Amino acid sequence: MGALARPVPIVGAAAVSAYGLEWRGLSRIVRSNRCAPVASTELGATHPGTPSFEVQALARATSVAEKRARLLMSRSAVLAAMATSAVLGDAGWSEPLEDVGFYLGVGASGGSLDQLTSMLAASVENHRLSLTRFGNQGLLACNPLFAFQLMNNFTLCHSAILHGTQGPNAAFFSRGTGTLIALLEAVEAILDGECDRALAGGADSSVHAVTWAELVRDGWAERGLVPGEGAALLALARPATSERAHGFLDYAAVAACRTRPLLQALADAQPELGCASIDAVVLAPWGPPARAALVAFTDAALPGRPVVDVERALGESLAASPALAWAVALDLMATEGLDRVLILSHGLDGDLGVVTIRSGGA
Amino acid sequence: MALWLFGGRTREVVVNRRRVHVAGFGAITPLGDTWADSIEPLARGRSAVKAVEHFDVASFPCTVAASVQLRFDHTGDRRLALAQHAAREAWAMARVDAPVDRIGVFIGAESGRASLATILALTRAAGGGKTFDHGVFGVQARSLAAHIDAAAVSPAAVASALAREIRAQGPVQTLSIACASGAAAIVEATRAIRLGECDVALCGGVGADVDPLMLVGFGRLGALSARGVSCPFDVHRDGFVVGEGAAMVVLSSNPSPLGIQISGVARSLDAYHLTKPDPQGDGAARAMQHALRDAGRDVVDYVQAHGTSTPLNDEVEAKAIRRVLGARWQDTYVSSVKGAVGHWIAGAGAVGFLCAAHAVQCGSLFPTANLHQPDPECELRHVLGSALAGDVCSALVNAFAFGGANACLVVERVN
Repeated sequence: MGALARPVPIVGAAAVSAYGLEWRGLSRIVRSNRCAPVASTELGATHPGTPSFEVQALARATSVAEKRARLLMSRSAVLAAMATSAVLGDAGWSEPLEDVGFYLGVGASGGSLDQLTSMLAASVENHRLSLTRFGNQGLLACNPLFAFQLMNNFTLCHSAILHGTQGPNAAFFSRGTGTLIALLEAVEAILDGECDRALAGGADSSVHAVTWAELVRDGWAERGLVPGEGAALLALARPATSERAHGFLDYAAVAACRTRPLLQALADAQPELGCASIDAVVLAPWGPPARAALVAFTDAALPGRPVVDVERALGESLAASPALAWAVALDLMATEGLDRVLILSHGLDGDLGVVTIRSGGA
Repeated sequence: MALWLFGGRTREVVVNRRRVHVAGFGAITPLGDTWADSIEPLARGRSAVKAVEHFDVASFPCTVAASVQLRFDHTGDRRLALAQHAAREAWAMARVDAPVDRIGVFIGAESGRASLATILALTRAAGGGKTFDHGVFGVQARSLAAHIDAAAVSPAAVASALAREIRAQGPVQTLSIACASGAAAIVEATRAIRLGECDVALCGGVGADVDPLMLVGFGRLGALSARGVSCPFDVHRDGFVVGEGAAMVVLSSNPSPLGIQISGVARSLDAYHLTKPDPQGDGAARAMQHALRDAGRDVVDYVQAHGTSTPLNDEVEAKAIRRVLGARWQDTYVSSVKGAVGHWIAGAGAVGFLCAAHAVQCGSLFPTANLHQPDPECELRHVLGSALAGDVCSALVNAFAFGGANACLVVERVN
């Protein structure tokens, strides 16, 4: 069975993670038990020794325009741009791209602390913030677009400008669920005829001093959460496309957990999933409590299936985590010859994401 | 055909579109504490732009703004205070009745801003003086983080709080696409009702950007008016003026006594520049064309323009409107509310929608405040001076964002 009347072909994928810029091979890495966080560089000054799954080397800009653009970009925007470039290449989509929809789960873009440093240093007088100095010198001392890095759509728009995607679009603020909504919107846009092809995914980083300070304060570090970052995108096409597909999206849903426990939401979703045809499960939980619920569900409903925990292997990448899990699932199908994989995600914003991807034709 | 599971029920997307009716409005604007209070000054062509007095702007590139006058008791997230105020008016007007799991909330909002007290705390945590001490900041980060609570400043905080208040248990979404956020949220709500994901939606946008960071940030980019006047499409326009406010709409799958509906929605991306519109207006034109096509129309009677009062945006938008409407542009009235209430950023498209819905419902077209000498490069059938009365069956709403995201809606009378 499939919840989507017409399974949507996934004709391209991309994943930027602590393990590099390839989605192929990612499932083996994630399953190898060799994944270990290393001391964070980004958090080195504020939270020395914090283990993280950090993208160590950002891919080199491929053009002068991109190099210049990156000077104005938040880290999440750079990650998104790298993933966009990769997914377009993987799908074999080249210009013109004006019809391509783009739906992205994004986090608070996270202006860099170096920029904040420059701005504040230029604005302080006698150990106090001076609005006069701020107005005269504060923002002059940093990236002129610093204020706009607070605008979350810039993570999306930087990529669109660099790559020329001009179709319907939306950036959903997400600590998990918004990325699922981005996928649903992309699917609906394609099935509704709003566009014939679309990108959907997420980009974010919890390897940021203020973000991590918040998570530490809320007790997530003590509960074993490890910061991570990344970006992942799927390229979706119309069901009738002649393009070669890596797999087919045949179920995508968000289940509200604001009014019922996560386990109840999973139990409610179960009859729709066609559990008998599921060969493996990929999890993107938000921390240990959600992991325990997702594992309990898979143990009961899908006994014996291999379970891959993306967050444990790649860290908590906030808006990027569900999308990274989709990419891992695609790779898992390709490398293990599986027919259908279930991806369960649960973010801080509370709701359950349920996606299934299958191989074969529509 | 995507599935949504709310309240444990599974629902298939309905392929045949349902109509989306407008059931209620609410707003808090610099010209009135409610939408009802704002209508009369908007119709008279008043502008709320004046000198900023609640913080020192003497050294800022622009020293004026359009601020909400109502004082709120609490000192927390200003976005939430504004949004709640507008949402309560809209919700009370709508008097809708639906199961809680069939009610959705769709809000356009950007990140909240840490308070000035927090910025001061940041400087102290960094040791003050001329250098920012990362080590000191790290030691103090734990206590500092208490002042930068994601639950209070995240974009999603507004939608979550409103959903709690009206006990909505359907889809809750936060759209963050800068100046098009509010319009995009109404687009999303329309799509959700059409597709059967919910039956009732509270939607709209909020902007609370009259603060030092945004005034200086926009000002340093040269986007703000040095003259301190918001006069969209005027030959003397020299930039926008920051405003604040919230505008909310209640949409329903059931007909409402207001007798108006949303018939067309669309979005596009310029993919051109972070702060400048595509000079050919292709992205804007594409969004307008698709919204009209979605509504099954070639033309409308009125356009509530994005009209920011920046030299380039207004010229490009005027060109795009003429291109989309063809020869009929000379019959189509156009105005922009930003001359009156400034630019609300994430809330801008939502208050624009209210102006268009008012035109269709009441046959009254608000003028573009401060538009005295239309720029020949912005040739359109402008509404000047005070409100015009007319038979308006349909209207187009434009919202174009920094970053290049565009959202357009068509609102029309229910036959």
